[in-house]
Amino acid sequence: MKKNKIFLFACLFVVFSCEKTDIEGPFLNDLYGDLNILEDLKIVGDSVNFENGESLHFTASFSKIVDWKIRIQGLNSGSIKIISGKSNVINSINSSWDGSSTELPFFGSENCSVELSFETHDTLIESELYIFTPKNYVNENTVLITDFEAGFNPNFTGFFQAGCTKSLTIGSSGEGTKYLQQFGTCDWDWLIGYIDYYSNFWLNQNILVNDPSQVYFNIMIKGDSTISEVDGVPNSLFKLEFYEDENNDGYYDANTEDRYDFEFDVNWKGWKMVSINYNDVENLVAATNNAGDGIRNPNKIHNVRTLLLANPNSGFAKADVDFLIWSIGGPILN
Amino acid sequence: MKNQFLSFLTFFLLFIATSIQAQIKSKVWYDGNARVMYDRNVLAGSNLDQTDTVSSRSTGQGFSKIDLGIHFTPVKDIEINSSIRLQNDFGGMWGNRNTVALRSLSATGVIKNKIRFSVGDLFLNQSKYTLYNYSQELAKYEPSVFNFYREYINYENYYIKNYWRLQGIQTNFSYNMYKFIEQIDLDIFSSRVRGSQWLGDPELLMIGGTTFIRLNKNFKIGSHYINTFEVMSSSNTNVAYYNPVITAKIIYSDKIYEKYPYSLIFEGGLSQRGWRGDEFAPETNGSFFSSSFKSKIKSSNVSLSFRYVDTDFRSIGSQSRRIHYSLTPTSYPFYNNNFTQRKISLLDIVSDPNIYNQKLSTSLMNYNPMYSATMPYGDATPNRIGAEINIEDINVTYFLKLNLDAKYFTEISGQGTREKRDFLNGVIYSKLFLNKIFDLNRPIIIETSFNSENVKRAGSAIEKISLNNHLLSGGVSIGIIENLNLICGAKMFSSKGNEYLIERNKYDEIIDYDKVTYANEEKIVIAGLQYYFEKDTYITLQFNHFNVLDVDNVKDEFSMKRLVFMFNMNL
Repeated sequence: MKKNKIFLFACLFVVFSCEKTDIEGPFLNDLYGDLNILEDLKIVGDSVNFENGESLHFTASFSKIVDWKIRIQGLNSGSIKIISGKSNVINSINSSWDGSSTELPFFGSENCSVELSFETHDTLIESELYIFTPKNYVNENTVLITDFEAGFNPNFTGFFQAGCTKSLTIGSSGEGTKYLQQFGTCDWDWLIGYIDYYSNFWLNQNILVNDPSQVYFNIMIKGDSTISEVDGVPNSLFKLEFYEDENNDGYYDANTEDRYDFEFDVNWKGWKMVSINYNDVENLVAATNNAGDGIRNPNKIHNVRTLLLANPNSGFAKADVDFLIWSIGGPILN
Repeated sequence: MKNQFLSFLTFFLLFIATSIQAQIKSKVWYDGNARVMYDRNVLAGSNLDQTDTVSSRSTGQGFSKIDLGIHFTPVKDIEINSSIRLQNDFGGMWGNRNTVALRSLSATGVIKNKIRFSVGDLFLNQSKYTLYNYSQELAKYEPSVFNFYREYINYENYYIKNYWRLQGIQTNFSYNMYKFIEQIDLDIFSSRVRGSQWLGDPELLMIGGTTFIRLNKNFKIGSHYINTFEVMSSSNTNVAYYNPVITAKIIYSDKIYEKYPYSLIFEGGLSQRGWRGDEFAPETNGSFFSSSFKSKIKSSNVSLSFRYVDTDFRSIGSQSRRIHYSLTPTSYPFYNNNFTQRKISLLDIVSDPNIYNQKLSTSLMNYNPMYSATMPYGDATPNRIGAEINIEDINVTYFLKLNLDAKYFTEISGQGTREKRDFLNGVIYSKLFLNKIFDLNRPIIIETSFNSENVKRAGSAIEKISLNNHLLSGGVSIGIIENLNLICGAKMFSSKGNEYLIERNKYDEIIDYDKVTYANEEKIVIAGLQYYFEKDTYITLQFNHFNVLDVDNVKDEFSMKRLVFMFNMNL
């Protein structure tokens, strides 16, 4: 009988010693509670020197877990950075900023407005910060093709239809001060114009890693979102062609070497960074008789050709470009 | 085609039965149930011409059904049981709306006079925490004038006591011993809860076993085990559900002062539930413990119990509910000018067999806290700790009988807050035999019951909950002439307060709450005549009036009258 009692109490002990959470499900306060700002928004690291790899972050705390959004806008450049999260505290872990942009152009050395807003709440907190030096996107993990700041390299050859424009322009650029305007109307051909950016004339001569999943091609494109009256799709069509020099003879041979194409509509207005993982460039233009190896080899890219295309029946097309750059490990605006 | 097949099957079974009877002189006997029912519903309420110009003013339906149970023993120790339903919906003719269906088919037998077995349709029940079909809400101590609806619902949904109807194989045997152990009982089963579905979920199987060892005349120990699991290879999926539950039970029986028998029952168990192959699915491990004292003092049955069922305790066999709140009610599923979908209310719980569930559910089914907040999943309701007292058959005097039940429980984990809900539920039932007071020959019985439930949670304005549900039921049965009773009854239900309805994801995790306020008043009134040929053979004609009102939304008030006729005979 004594043994039975011991067994019984042992069972009770096992059952009641099990640790269980106090709360099941999300907090009611987070769903139905009022939002109170417990600690006001603070900027840690104002007057930041992004060029030297510095960063800043924000701090604040609230009475409930909430979807929050920090919007930083360059007062000169108009560049915008959005940092968002869902938490009841903003700190270095969820709000660190390295100077990158969400919406182009890039930030410059300038004053910025800061707004903290909340989803489903009207509360808005405003502040200001200053960027001492902007972020430098060119580093050991990038290969800059051109940013047009030193002008248009005449070794980047190409062709534009008669009456169509390719022009280096100053002001309102995506990065720096200069960019390349490309526009025109061609009613006899899809091609408005193209430019070949040969690798031996790229501004950085770093060799790309030979892992296509790690290599990203980035290009700033300024569109005008003109919609074709003929077929209801955007007028401007942009094409990228990547030519691989499989045998490293300094020349692309369509009979023995591969080319990869990527095409997309330019259906936006203003600047936008387009980033493409080289692994996602799916359209292989195989060498004649399949003589190429059919493998994406970013380290063998000999030439990047950018083409502006438009349906000859649809009229005006435009796609200005700036800051063509390769990045390793992720898109340039991560 | 299906009907033809079933007709063929019927005659085949009859043929086999009679053939075998002829050859080996087997016994054949019949039982079953016959039911004829007709009801006419009439939409009621004031200003119907303005508030509801789209619904038909009355609807009627009826049927006659015969469930013919055929039993025969082809060989000694084996019995084949089948039940074939012949149904004719009123309004059909020449085969239209006539159905023949196989309602159940099973075989039972005994091997060597020791091992019993059953195959086919099985009615299975284990512990209250492993496999148990709990009664529907607000059914406890219901006046007997509502019994004809309750019996109809339970019969149509195969609810026999607290057993779940499953298909499979079951066997049990007892073994008597002489040293240390007096007797061992073993019961094991295997069943197929859900068949394979084309491009759907895999097969769901359930295996289980119960063993009891009687050590002496006072002491008994036992264990229940049940495991419900999906067979991954039976479907094009890489995910398979599993839910094993194991319990241990100790029963000690004796007598107080050598006069009043009592039992002390301790039961504890563990559960595990998860989805193999699903990296996002949590594996929950839960436990429970219960202890109870049961005794019979004079004519009364007394029970005191304590229960702890933790938040993560999951048991498909004991947490599947009878009422499926996502089903559509049969009578006026849509009404008024906005074509409002009618929510399941007390009138449907009382009278509609089509809102009831016959399948075990792999996740916690929804419930309505208006009708059942304290124990929505019976004793196996997770996240509860508390005590219950129940006293039945208290003979206050020779003409008054009482039943009492009271529960106080609290949550183990707060839902969305550290504050926990407190649940207080009490039911009192009385049965007054007026004929005994006035020494009348004919029965005059008045039954009343009052069910009160209170849910409270303290805390801030957001956390606070206060919900009061009350159901007052009454029934009068007056014998006019022999076997003919005038019956009338009423149910008055009210629910006032606020609650949070819980939204769970497919893994049963709480993901959201819906803040609701209740100000509901529901009424059911019945009156009619009931003539008994025998105990389970009766004919009744009744008038019913149902009213469902949300005080905060009076424009959606629903009111309906019903004339119902039912003939029931258990063969």
